[in-house]
Amino acid sequence: MAGDLRDHESDILGQLKRIGARTSFVEAFAQRTRGETVSVDSKSQSVAGNPELIGVAFRAWGGTRWVESATVGIEPPVLASVADELLKRLAKNEVVGDPPGTSATASITADSPQSRPMRDMGSERALAWATEVHKWIAGEPSIGFGVTSLVWTEEERYYLNSAGADCFQRLDRVLANVFTVAVENGRSESCFESIGRIGGQEALGAITQEKVHTVCGVARSLLKTKAPPKGKMTVILDPGLTSTFVHESFGHGTEADQFLRNRSYLQPLLGKTLGPGSLTMVDDGTVPGGWGTMRFDDEGHPTQRTPLVEGGRFVGALHDRTTAAAFGTKATGNTRRSDFLSQPYVRMTNTLLEPGDWSYEELVEEARNGIVLERWMSGIEDPLGGRMQLKARAGHVIENGEVTDLVSSLVLSGSVLEFLRDIRGIGSAQYEDRSPGVCGKGHSDPLPVGGGGTYLLSSAVVGPA
Amino acid sequence: MIRAPMLASAVADWVGSLDVPWDVYAERARRFEIQLNGNRVEFVRGPLRLEGYGVRILTAVDGQTGVGFQASADFTPQGTRAAVETARAAAKFNRFPARQPELPATNAGAPTSPKILDPELWSDPARALDEEAAALLGSIDAQLLPPPTFATIRATLIETSIANSRGLAAAYAHTVVDREVAVKSEGGPEGRPPGEFWLEHLGRRIRLENLDAQVRDWYRFAADARRAVAPTTGETTVVLPPEVLSGILPPVLGFQFSGSALLRGMAVPRDTMVGTDTMDVTDDGVLDWAVRSSPVDDEGSAQRVRRVVSQGRSEEPFTDVLHANAVGTAPSGNAVRVGRGFSDEYWRKFTRRPVPGASTIILAPGDGGSDAELIEQVEDGIWVQQFGWANPDPVSGTFGGEVRIGYRIRRGRLAEPVRGGTVGGAVITRDGRPSVLNGVQAAGSAATLYGTLRSPTLVVKSLTVSGEA
Repeated sequence: MAGDLRDHESDILGQLKRIGARTSFVEAFAQRTRGETVSVDSKSQSVAGNPELIGVAFRAWGGTRWVESATVGIEPPVLASVADELLKRLAKNEVVGDPPGTSATASITADSPQSRPMRDMGSERALAWATEVHKWIAGEPSIGFGVTSLVWTEEERYYLNSAGADCFQRLDRVLANVFTVAVENGRSESCFESIGRIGGQEALGAITQEKVHTVCGVARSLLKTKAPPKGKMTVILDPGLTSTFVHESFGHGTEADQFLRNRSYLQPLLGKTLGPGSLTMVDDGTVPGGWGTMRFDDEGHPTQRTPLVEGGRFVGALHDRTTAAAFGTKATGNTRRSDFLSQPYVRMTNTLLEPGDWSYEELVEEARNGIVLERWMSGIEDPLGGRMQLKARAGHVIENGEVTDLVSSLVLSGSVLEFLRDIRGIGSAQYEDRSPGVCGKGHSDPLPVGGGGTYLLSSAVVGPA
Repeated sequence: MIRAPMLASAVADWVGSLDVPWDVYAERARRFEIQLNGNRVEFVRGPLRLEGYGVRILTAVDGQTGVGFQASADFTPQGTRAAVETARAAAKFNRFPARQPELPATNAGAPTSPKILDPELWSDPARALDEEAAALLGSIDAQLLPPPTFATIRATLIETSIANSRGLAAAYAHTVVDREVAVKSEGGPEGRPPGEFWLEHLGRRIRLENLDAQVRDWYRFAADARRAVAPTTGETTVVLPPEVLSGILPPVLGFQFSGSALLRGMAVPRDTMVGTDTMDVTDDGVLDWAVRSSPVDDEGSAQRVRRVVSQGRSEEPFTDVLHANAVGTAPSGNAVRVGRGFSDEYWRKFTRRPVPGASTIILAPGDGGSDAELIEQVEDGIWVQQFGWANPDPVSGTFGGEVRIGYRIRRGRLAEPVRGGTVGGAVITRDGRPSVLNGVQAAGSAATLYGTLRSPTLVVKSLTVSGEA
């Protein structure tokens, strides 16, 4: 399809006007995506276009609640139909007053093309790239299976509302992943390396033969590892685990819609000191190339850098228009929809831990005995209970201030507040977390989130996983 | 019975002139949602409409099969033609080690029609959601409990149709309901944070069975979380109910018994001892009200019941047409198109190609009696009610997660609540190392469907527990 979503501006505005006659506020979110997925494994190879999907959601204030309808398609009859359905919903409610918070009024355009867009690579070259990377895997001993995949998407997001906001942005994402499985005597262990960026072909340079060799080596080594130690102990999180901790364990508790539900263990602690003076955590939707970067959010507010913890003190939360109004502050540009069929919620963008002043060697020496958790796999939030759960693919035992044995996958658990209180050191080197994260709001609405961090020394319960 | 229209036929008319095997999978879906904040409705959504199709083209390339695929939501003649051309162009790049795979034919067998559509929901979805939300709040209020911190009910109404070059024309309508409810307990003991129980439930019907009893349990778990303590570290007998096992067994067994794993050298070999010698496991694609049940699988083969483990030994793999052909067996009716995960796993399926996968894993009940009788058999152990997430690893076959709420078992009785710490171990092993499957000490006499698993409660004799002490 030629052109972009702005070609439909007058059609969308026409429907906003119709709906706006029945309510004090209405907004439209339109989205268009396309892309391609390429994968090569030891048995097959595949190139497939991702579906070109285009759709729109209308959200209106219904007096006491938000009401919404959405559809695939954007042609005038489709827009009229979805607007009709919303009007039927509104007819059931007596619309009184304005919605909570401040409606965006800005016009924002973020339409800069990538210098080397993935689209220009073409299917044949994309397949050749994946095939070449796969050859690196095929040459590794004991690797029974490997897959190299490359996914790129071009996305347009277009936001209009009855208060005059008119915002358009283009988000081109590229994701590359190498997954390897070592197989021996009926046992299988895996490891992966992945990158996810807003960007173009230049992002693929982060997948190197050395990294592929490393992930193959980790998978192979895991076949012969012992079970990890268990119980409460000193732990060092690697930068990926730290980033996952900041997002899953801490960040979800700063989403202020949980405050409105009285469902955040952090809410009563705003303004309180939670960790050492060197502890700083932020959410930043403006990180260049970040996997969770956007120019504006899905209520039309610009994204920003929002400090969550500064100097060890819990200083800020993430807000949409509703929570900002409830807590007497401003929206932070964190309202996100997974897509046009998904609900807008308060969500994180890129969450980061800023570096401290310890070298890795100093952290290990300080730990004396414990474990380094490496290669994050997952995490899950507990916004009310304040517990944490992080899974690592591997770890290294620390004995007498020395890094020793590799151990297999493990899970970390504990109280987030105790973990923060017990921080004894923060690494001095900042690592950009290129691993593409996928975040759900509870059990729904997955979307891309980025992160970054460094090594972090504290204590927690560790067990096998 | 509600018949789904053959949306796929509209596309098939344009694909049909091709001289290579093809299929079309089409989906027309509507979703409705209601979200509560306390006892207040804060958001009502729907209809959220989605229509689309995926075209797959199979061409012979160098003795293998080039699989071209393109999904689209454009049903115009130009849009359909573009999707077909893109799929055909992609096929020439693609290779899959199947020789002459045969798509299912019109007369592929008389499919069983499981119950997969809730007529109350289908007839008036917005009203059904309103009533279910009111029923939830009514039950809570009647039991003098505080309102939930939040609740979301999502209902998706789907018409699925499949057509192919061998004349297959299958269509069915179905409903999927997923809900999240979080309830909180405040008050004593002094200084302890609030306790929460956070339910996630996936099913096909709008009404939750035994709602009052379930509500009572959720609040009890939340209250118990306040006074719970971390478990002690060690190897311990662990009791796992079906709602916990559903987060552990299907992801691991679904992969390790798949044709995909078999083709790539990662599957459990046939006739391997993986369970206790009384353990029977089947996969059932036609179980009533199960979320992966349907008359045909996602490429049109009749769904059926097949044995996975018999008396502890592994049996046939799950296959779709392509993998069955590649590994030299017959398709088992296990082609699955998985949506994008989370609550979107059961719609948007037209955007995905079929791969081999399990339907509903069934563990046969044992003779251990009721849950109370199973507990009586445990001298010292832990009942896990909920993990944060069990983190199953399909490849290594291990799992491990934090206990969000559980109970210590002392001398055959449930004792103090447990929270924090981790429980983990192997789900399945092939060399006799301890696992959930070969460590079953007792299995309950009744099985319950939860998500993609129907299972009794299992007493597993030794899993690793990590705690504060």
